[in-house]
This record gives sequence, C-alpha cells and structure tokens, in this order.
Amino acid sequence: MDNKEINLLKKALERQKKARQQAEQILEQKSKELYDTTRHLQEANHRLETLLSEKSSELDGVFINIIDPYVVMDLDFNVINMNSSARDFLGYDHGRESVNLAKLVHPDYLEYTAESMHTLLKVGTLKNYRAKIIVRDGSEKFVQINSSLIYDKDRKPIAAQGIIRDITRETEIQDLLADQRRELDIIVENSPLSIVLTVKGQIVKVNKTFVDLLGYSEAELTKFHVKDISAPEDVEASKDLMGQMNRGEIETFTLIKRYIKKDGKTLLAKTSVSAFKNNKGEVTHQVAMIEDITEQRNLELQKEQLLKELESSNEGLKEYAHMVSHDLKSPLRSLNALATWLQEDYKDILDDNGKNQLQMMQEKIEGMDKLIDGILKYSSISRDTREQVQVDLNETVQHIREIIFIPEHVRVVIMNELPTLVADPTQMQQLFQNLISNAVVNIDKETGIVEVGSTDAGSHWDFYVKDNGVGIPKEYHKKIFEIFQSIGNEARSTGIGLSIVKKIVDLHKGKIRLESEVGQGTSFHFSIKK
Amino acid sequence: MKVLFIEDDAIETMKLQRTVAKFQIKYEITEAKNGEEALDYLRSDAKLPDIILLDLNMPKMNGIEFLRILKADEVLKFLPTIILTTSENRADLLECYKIGIAGYVIKPLKYEDYEEKLRKVFQYWEVVELVKA
Repeated sequence: MDNKEINLLKKALERQKKARQQAEQILEQKSKELYDTTRHLQEANHRLETLLSEKSSELDGVFINIIDPYVVMDLDFNVINMNSSARDFLGYDHGRESVNLAKLVHPDYLEYTAESMHTLLKVGTLKNYRAKIIVRDGSEKFVQINSSLIYDKDRKPIAAQGIIRDITRETEIQDLLADQRRELDIIVENSPLSIVLTVKGQIVKVNKTFVDLLGYSEAELTKFHVKDISAPEDVEASKDLMGQMNRGEIETFTLIKRYIKKDGKTLLAKTSVSAFKNNKGEVTHQVAMIEDITEQRNLELQKEQLLKELESSNEGLKEYAHMVSHDLKSPLRSLNALATWLQEDYKDILDDNGKNQLQMMQEKIEGMDKLIDGILKYSSISRDTREQVQVDLNETVQHIREIIFIPEHVRVVIMNELPTLVADPTQMQQLFQNLISNAVVNIDKETGIVEVGSTDAGSHWDFYVKDNGVGIPKEYHKKIFEIFQSIGNEARSTGIGLSIVKKIVDLHKGKIRLESEVGQGTSFHFSIKK
Repeated sequence: MKVLFIEDDAIETMKLQRTVAKFQIKYEITEAKNGEEALDYLRSDAKLPDIILLDLNMPKMNGIEFLRILKADEVLKFLPTIILTTSENRADLLECYKIGIAGYVIKPLKYEDYEEKLRKVFQYWEVVELVKA
C-alpha cells in the first residue's frame, strides 16, 4: 500500500472516526435528553398520580360530605353510586341491591320524567326537575333534582349525576299557602262587603263587590286615590282618622261616608278601616271594609216614618174608638129614655104584648151598650199605654169580690197567697175580673166555689181560676178566646171578655188554656212572665 | 136656682126637663144648643146662672173649648160647671178637671138611673153655697 493510499485510508478513517465521534456525541446528547425527558415524565407522572389521588380523595370527600342526596346513574336509571344521604332518603342501597330510579317515580310523573331525560341527553344538564317519587317505606316525596351528564373519553355520555333536594315539606307549605290564598281569594271575592286595600290612600287592590258597587273596573279603581271616589264633604273626616291611624294612635276606625259611583250617583256606606303593619310596626297598608247602607238607611228612615205614622194612627184610633163609642152610646141613651117614657106615659094604653116588646127593646139596648163598652176596653188594651207598678193580686181579687155581683150560694176563694208583680193594675183587674165573673155566672150547682190560685214557675207565674160550674164543651175550647165568640146562653154575654183576657195574657208574654168537663166545671190556667 | 144647660141633643134636653119637672123645688133652666150660644147668653144682659151643666160632644164649639173660654174669663170663671156626658174617656175627664170643673157626671144608660143621678146632683147644689153675682 502506498503512502497515498495509506494517507487516504488514514484520512477516511479519520473522517470516520470523527463522524463516529459526532454520532456518539449526538447519541450521547440524545440519550441524555431522553433520560431527562424520561425523568421529567416520571416526575410528571408521579405528580399527576399524587394529584389524581388527591383529587379523587377530595372527590370522595365531597361525595360523602354532600348533605343533599347525590346519585350517579347510568342512562337506564340504574344507580351506579349514591351517597349515604341518598341511601337514607331513598331507603335503597345500591351496594346491596340494584336500584332503578325510574321505578321510584310516581306514575303521574312518568311522562314528565321521560321528557326530562330527553332534555338532559340533548342539553347535557337538567335544572329544576320536580317530581313526586315513592321511597322504600311507601311514603310519597316531592323532589327537585339538578342533574348533568358524565361522558367517557370519546365524549360519549355514559352516566348522569344528580343532586336531589327533598322539597316535600316546601311543596306542602306552598300547596297549603296556595290553598289558603285561594280560600282567602274566594272569601274576599265573594264577600258581601267591599274590600279595598290602599297604600297611603292609593287604591292597590279591590274585590269584585267593590267593583260592582261603584261601577268602575278594577283597573280604573287602582288608578284612584280614595278621595277621588269619596264625597267631598266626607274627605276631611276620613283624612283626620287616617292620620290618627298612621300615627299609631288608633288601630281601626269606622265611619259612615258617601262614595261617588261611576254614574255620578252617591251611596252611603259604613267603612271600617284597619291598619296593616309590617314587622317593624309601621303601617304599610290600609284595609277598608265597605258596606253599602244606602238601602239600610232608607229602610231605617222608612221605619221611623212608619213608626211615627203608626203612633199617630194608634192615637187616632184610640180617639176614634172613644168617639165611636160615644156616638153609639148617646143614641142608646135616648132610645132607653124614649122606651121608658113610652112605658110610663102609655102604660094604660099598652097591652101586655106591647109592654113586653118594650121590655125586649130595653134588653137589646142594654146588650148593645155592653158590647160597645167591651169593644172600647178591648181596643184600649195595648202595650204602650200600660202602667208598670207593683200590683198585689190579693188586693186585686179582693177588690173584684167587692165590685162584682156574687150570689149568696157562690164563694170566691183565694187558695194561696197570690204574688205581687209589676204590671198594669187596670189590666190585672180586667184579667181576673173577666175570669172570676165568668166563673161566678156559670155556676149551676147549689153551692158554687170559684178558686183562684198561683204557683211560682221560675221565669213566670202560673195562675188558675177554677169553678164547679156548667163546664165548656170541648169543641169550644179554642173558639172561646176569639173576639165576639159567645157560647153562653146568657143573652147579655158579648163574647169580648175572654178576648180581653187573652189579649192581656199575650201582652204579658204568657199562655192561656182551659180544662173543662161539661157538668163538672172549668179551670182556666194562664201564665204571666215575671 | 138658675141653671144653664148646654146640650145639642133634643132628647137629652127632654130628659133633663122631664127629670127636673118631677122635683119638688122648681128650677129655672136655660137651654143653649152649643158653646157659642151659651157664651152669647152669658155675655148678654141676662142674669148669670148659678150653675152650668155642660155636655162635651157638641157641634161647632165643643164642651172643652167652651170650658176653656169660660175659665179664662175674669168673671165667668166663678161659675161652677158640671160636666154631663156619655164620654168615659179618661183623657177628657183629666182635661176637664185640669181646666176647672165642679163635677163630672157620666150619663148612665137607663133613664131611671139618669133621673137618680141628676136628683143627687141637684140636691148637692141645693145645699152648697153659691157665688152670687
């Protein structure tokens, strides 16, 4: 080999050497880089692992520490994971059994649940799903769920997680509130009273009754201030009272004022206003209850008018009764005188028949006179003319014994000490006198006894007047108290006496009845309120 | 004794005249048919009566109206006036006593009772001292 060749070879070798050295150097550098990278990677990996474990333990903690029930389920509603709160709430444990949430949903909410699932899959999240579910113990719960989808690495949804809130109680309260509100609305809307809510006199709410009353729509009314619909003359008074209420001096007030309707007419209404206060005790609203008393007032005025008329017509009637009685009695006196004179002056000319007829005429005249007296007495018994004084009925009966005709064979006996009561003495006398004289007149026995007695019946006195006379047939027991119904054979009986008795007993809030047997006697029982 | 009898009813007047005629003592009865007539008589020159018998229900001026005028008169108020009426109206009775009367006699139904009552009235006024003009 020549030098040249050797040199060439040497040079080539040299180049090769260099190249190799270079390659080695690159390699060395690369492997160092690789090593570094590996080291980096290892470190990163380690850090990641730590982070992951930290995160997952953190998550575990979150999962466990979520107070609200938390559930992870697959897309077929099967529970993959749930926290203890969820286990407690639902009563199911996915660790022990497979739990399918769809099966817990109340039948009424199945369709809604399907729709919601559809939304979840489409949007990825679902907020405010509200449904009724049935938990293990069979009780129904209202839940609100906020949920989101969980994806795999290919962004394919594989599961869903959700936080459940038990809103059973809340819903119940809401339902209750809604019910109460509805009830309240029904009451307010159907109230016969108009109800108006105001803030500083500005109308904010009215019920239908008020709308109907004034003829304005609710929209129109809520633009008004109370004074816009009040009669100007009443504004001052209600302003004054409202001021007192706003200052807390009064809680409520009532006044009678006039409102102006849409058609311009006024109506009179009783208005009761109450303050509505907030927690701080400040008046925020005024509630007014308004009652239309136009009609009532008119009726009252009408009633007053009627009463006045009645009074004067009563007075007139009394006068009239006296007039009539006088005018009827005067000619009877003349007739009696004339008949008497006929008998006196022509007694030699008149035969027995003529004298007899004149006698019958006198009897008729007497009967007529008694009838007029009776009617006058009956018509003058009234509530408004009676006196109220202490009346000792023993004295009353004693007095009657003295003034009425009692035949020798009849005795009027007071059976027990009669009470003293507050009454009209004239009416008491009329009452007892009519009954006692009736009893005396109707005695047909050799010895007649008329018994008068009383018993204390608490709220009233019971009295009786009992005789052993002819008795009254059953069919007349009711009729006997009707005016002009005389059943006596006595031509002189007018049929007014017992009507007077009944009228007086009625006036004293009592009752009257009779027991009688034909041939045995009659007893009248009546009561008088104390 | 001189009596002024104020009464619108003819038969009532007959009753009084017939009754008085039976008395042993004779009376001078002057009749007036109503209050105006009676006042005309009392204000005339005629001698005043000793007593007045007065009916209440009369046309034109009634008894009570007459009585008021009578009792308001300085001289005539001394005339004893006895009411002779059918009216049992207590209001009338009270009003008459309030204005001033010497008696209130209710005419009974029967003529013989009337005679009896009137006899007593006249007998009473027979023994009573009268205000002689």
